[in-house]
Formats: sequence, C-alpha cells, structure tokens
Amino acid sequence: MRTQNATAYRFLTPYLLVFAIFWIWPIISSFLISFQATRTVPWRFAPTFNWGRLVGDPAFYNALKNTLLILVIQVPVMIALAIVMAVLLNSPLLKARGLYRFAFFAPVVVGEVAYSAVFRLMFSLDFGIINKLLESVGLEKIDWFSNVTPAMAVIMIAVTWRWAGYNAIIILAGLQSIPEDVYEAATLDRVSKLKQFFYITLPLLKPVIVFCAVLSIIGTMQLFTEPFLITERGGPGGGTETLGLLLYRQGFRSLNFGYASAVAYTMAGLAIAITLVQLWLTREPK
Amino acid sequence: MAAVTLTNVIKRFGNFEVVHGANIDVADGEFVVFVGPSGCGKSTLLRMIAGLEDISGGDIAIGGKVMNDVEAADRGIAMVFQSYALYPHMTVEQNLSFGLRMNGNPKADTERRVKRAAEILRIDELMQRRPKQLSGGQRQRVAIGRAIVREPQVFLFDEPLSNLDAELRVQMRVEISRLHKELGVTMIYVTHDQTEAMTLADRIVVLKAGNVEQIGAPLDLYDDPANRFVAGFIGSPKMNFLKANVVETSNSAAIIELVNHGGARLRKPLSEAFPAVGAEVVLGVRPEHFFEAGEGDCDIPVKADVAEHLGSVSYVYANAGPEELIIEREASRQRASGDHFTVSIKAERALLFDKAGARIR
Repeated sequence: MRTQNATAYRFLTPYLLVFAIFWIWPIISSFLISFQATRTVPWRFAPTFNWGRLVGDPAFYNALKNTLLILVIQVPVMIALAIVMAVLLNSPLLKARGLYRFAFFAPVVVGEVAYSAVFRLMFSLDFGIINKLLESVGLEKIDWFSNVTPAMAVIMIAVTWRWAGYNAIIILAGLQSIPEDVYEAATLDRVSKLKQFFYITLPLLKPVIVFCAVLSIIGTMQLFTEPFLITERGGPGGGTETLGLLLYRQGFRSLNFGYASAVAYTMAGLAIAITLVQLWLTREPK
Repeated sequence: MAAVTLTNVIKRFGNFEVVHGANIDVADGEFVVFVGPSGCGKSTLLRMIAGLEDISGGDIAIGGKVMNDVEAADRGIAMVFQSYALYPHMTVEQNLSFGLRMNGNPKADTERRVKRAAEILRIDELMQRRPKQLSGGQRQRVAIGRAIVREPQVFLFDEPLSNLDAELRVQMRVEISRLHKELGVTMIYVTHDQTEAMTLADRIVVLKAGNVEQIGAPLDLYDDPANRFVAGFIGSPKMNFLKANVVETSNSAAIIELVNHGGARLRKPLSEAFPAVGAEVVLGVRPEHFFEAGEGDCDIPVKADVAEHLGSVSYVYANAGPEELIIEREASRQRASGDHFTVSIKAERALLFDKAGARIR
C-alpha cells in the first residue's frame, strides 16, 4: 500500500509543484507582503503600516460600502429571479425547454469585455436603447453613468443578467431531484400549487439555494469587471468602486502591493465570515 | 366508506392504449388487490381512481358518484405511495398533520386525528423524528398514518411493501390486514407479488397487458383459474404446464397424450367444451398435485435435478424430457439430486388449457 501511495505521489508531483508555486506560494507571499511597506525601496517589514491604513482609509470604506450594497440588493434579487426562472424551466407546459436552458446559460459564456461594452451602449445617454424605451413611454431619459445611484443600478442589472441564468440552471437541477410523488401526496392533501411551492419546493431547495447564495457572495465580494468596464473604473468619482477595483487600483496602478494584499485578505475574510453567518442562519434543525 | 366502480375504463398515453376497458366493482368495505406483472396497468388504474391520471374513456364512480372530472383531493380517497412520498423536511407529526393544517382544519380536530393515527400505527414515539431518521418499516407506517388522518372513504395502496425486506414485508402485511379490519374501509391495493395478493385480498383482480384476466376470491382464483395466465401467476411455486395432444374425445371426456412423457395418456373428464382430436392442449398441474406412482390416473417418470428442502416443505425440480417440473410431495423430503422416480397425475386435480391459453372445462 505504501509503495502504491509513493507511486501515486510521484505521478502527482508535477501538478503539486505547479500548484505549490502558482497557488500556495502567492497566497502565503501576499499574506507576508501585507505586513510590509512596499512603496519604499527596499520593502521593509512594518506590521501595522497597511492594516493600520486600511482601518482609517475612506476609500476602503467607500469600496466596502459599495460592495456590500451590491451584495444585499443584487444577490437576493438574482436568487429570487433564478428560482422563478428554474420553476418556469421545470414546467411541463414549457415547449422548447432546451432552447430556454441554453438561452439562460448563454450570458455566462459571453466574453466579459463584449458584454460590458454592450451594456455601456444600452445605457448610453444619447444612443442607448434603455433611454429610447424610457422616452417612448413618456419618461425622461437618465444619465446612467454620471450619477452614483443609476450607475450602481446598471452594475446590479448587468451582474444579474449575467449570473441569474447560471443560478437558475443549478436550482433547476435541485428542483428535478425533488420526487414527483411528494407533490402528488400534497395534491391529494388538497394543498394548492402556491402552498406547495412555499411549503415543499422552497424548503427542499434550501441546500441548493444556500449553495447559489454562497457562490454569489464570493463572486460579489470579488466584483471587478463590471465596475471597471461598464462604469469606467468605479465611476462616477469612485461611486461604484468595489473592493476588487480598489485592490486593482492599489496593486496594479499605484504598485502598492502591501496595501493591495491587505485589501485582498480583507475581501477573503469578509466572504468567509458572511458565508459562515449564512450557513449558520440556514442550518438544518437537529 | 364507499364502493368503487370502474366501468369500461380506458387509458391511453398518446396513441398507445395501456388499459383496455376495465370493468371492476369494489364493494363497500372490501379489500381488493390488483395484481399482475410489470406494465400490466395496475398502478395506472389505481392512479386513475386517485385522480392523479386522467381517464381516456369510461367512468370511475366512488360512493355512487362519477368522479371522472372531480379533483383528486375531492374524491374522498387517500393514497400510500410505493416510495412513501413523505415530506423529508418535516417531522412525523408535521407529515401527518400537513394536509389538515394547510386546509385550515380546526387545531383540536387535527391533533385528535394525528393522535389516533399514531396510536393505531404505534408511532407515538417517532412523532418528532424526520423521515431520514426512520427505518423503512417506520416510514411505511407514517405514510399509512398520513392516509388515516384524512379519514378517507377509500384507501389506495401502490405497492407499499416493495421497498421493504422480506421479514418486514410479512410484518407490514399483517399490519395492513389488521388495519383493514379495524377501520373497515374500502381498500384497493396494487402489487406484483401474488403472495401479498393471496394473503391480503377479499378479492383479487388479475391484470395482464391492460386487460382484466379474472376477478375472484384468492382460493377461487387458485383452484379455478379462468386461463393459463392466471393459473401460472397465482400460486407459488408456479403451476406446471405439460404439452399434450388430444387423441380421442367422447361426449364427457377427452383423452390426451403428454407429448414429452413417453406417450403417457390421461382421460380428462369435461363438461363444457370438447377439443378436436389432434388439437394441441396444455395440462396444468400444481406442484402439490403430483401423487405417488400408481395413486393417480397417469404415471410419468422423472429425474430429480435439484431438491430444495425448506423445512416445512420440500420441492423437487425434476427433468422430464424438455419440460422441467416442480414437485411438492411428502416424499420430496427423501429425494436428492439425480434420483429417478415416478409421479402420478390425477385427472380431477389437473386443468386443461387450449393452445391460446383459454381454460377447457
């Protein structure tokens, strides 16, 4: 058995080496870097330099506020929408189910830059289809990218468009694992379809919904592409800057790797903390 | 309580007809078992009675009222599913009371019904457990309890014991039988297991490929099957079928020659139909209806292939030409593989079928 294990590890070595160099080491290294002042040459060990700055940095709190705002508004809306989409996809009345399933999943495989460019165009002040639609129903057009609230709305809409279908497909798999005879038993118990949804479907989907929520929380904590490309680097005036964007700005524009590492660890810590709270809140009763 | 009447009930899935005009009367308080091999339409019939499947033709009446277009919940039935169909996220108590709570039934009445069902099924101790914390037998009890709290006119059981092990199955069979006596309500029970059918039923409906082959009391079906299918399906081990030709007929009997047994002949008295000379027929003999050599009307030599000694009974699987016979005799206890011996058939204990499987009486 020991020989077999040794052989297995020899085969695994190339992968483990790559994994250690490109995954494990950066994780350790960035943790160590977060305790160094990196804007001096050479870098020097200063444990409170970056973490102390983080605690009092208005830019960090602004990014944190924006990230959490997207988290608490966009994630629940997207999950709710995904559940509705999954239920519709699961309906026996639906024709061309495969086509809808593909259509809902397609946004995930569209290139991020392409989809961001299209969203910028759609919400453009003068040429965007959204403003044209608003005007066509007698409403005033909105300058989506010059004000913080509409800009945040655009980001939330874009992220929801991109990921709702993906979550719907996961929830659909959960829906299809609920045995049909449970619903038949409920039908014989004279339980309406609506009550069946709230008292049977939703509770039985809970593990899948929690899974989707955890994935979405992690994704939102790292949100970068949309505020970078759609609202042009967190504009207007940092109004849509997220933690991911702050990290990028500090690390790759200001080349302040120490502070960027501290932000990265804060993001990861927050994602873990929020996920744990969520898992605790939705735990199965004993 | 209510009688259930199926009149010329047809079921089609698209163009494919799976039930071809079933006519079945289930009396008030009767325990009727639908039995047949897989795909014979027994579960479909039950689901049509429950209202879980539309019917394509005919009428289904419960308590004298035609239920064709009545919602499943309004038919006064309760159903126990093969997979139990318990709500996995609810406790046993919540499972039992769910339907009543959702319909705004008074709390005191709901509690009374749940308590009564728990007492009947002896599941009081399990009330706060969830289905995954229960054994198969306990889950089955909860599923039956959920049916009891509805206080239905008719209980429907869809192969409720098929997921249980052999010992538990026997135990639950007795429980269901006791429940029927205790509640006195109409019960319709679907199974592919003829032993369950024989032990539980007041009357059995034998189905094959969407057709009702025969309806009758268990022993009537055993002793007097209408055709070769029923004769072979009811009874365990199965009835033996021996190929024969009619060599002579008179106005009261036919003399047949067993094809695979050295030309052994048997005079079978008949009263209704007389097959033509030369017609191919099949002689049906139950394993316990073989007698010692010389005791019957026709002796056939056989060679024991395998002997099964179960204690209370012994079976010999014997080769006689190309036919394998199952023989159950007192003397089977002494038989061993390879033994050569002779058995005898009594005409009065043998059944005659024509080539198509219809009974010749």
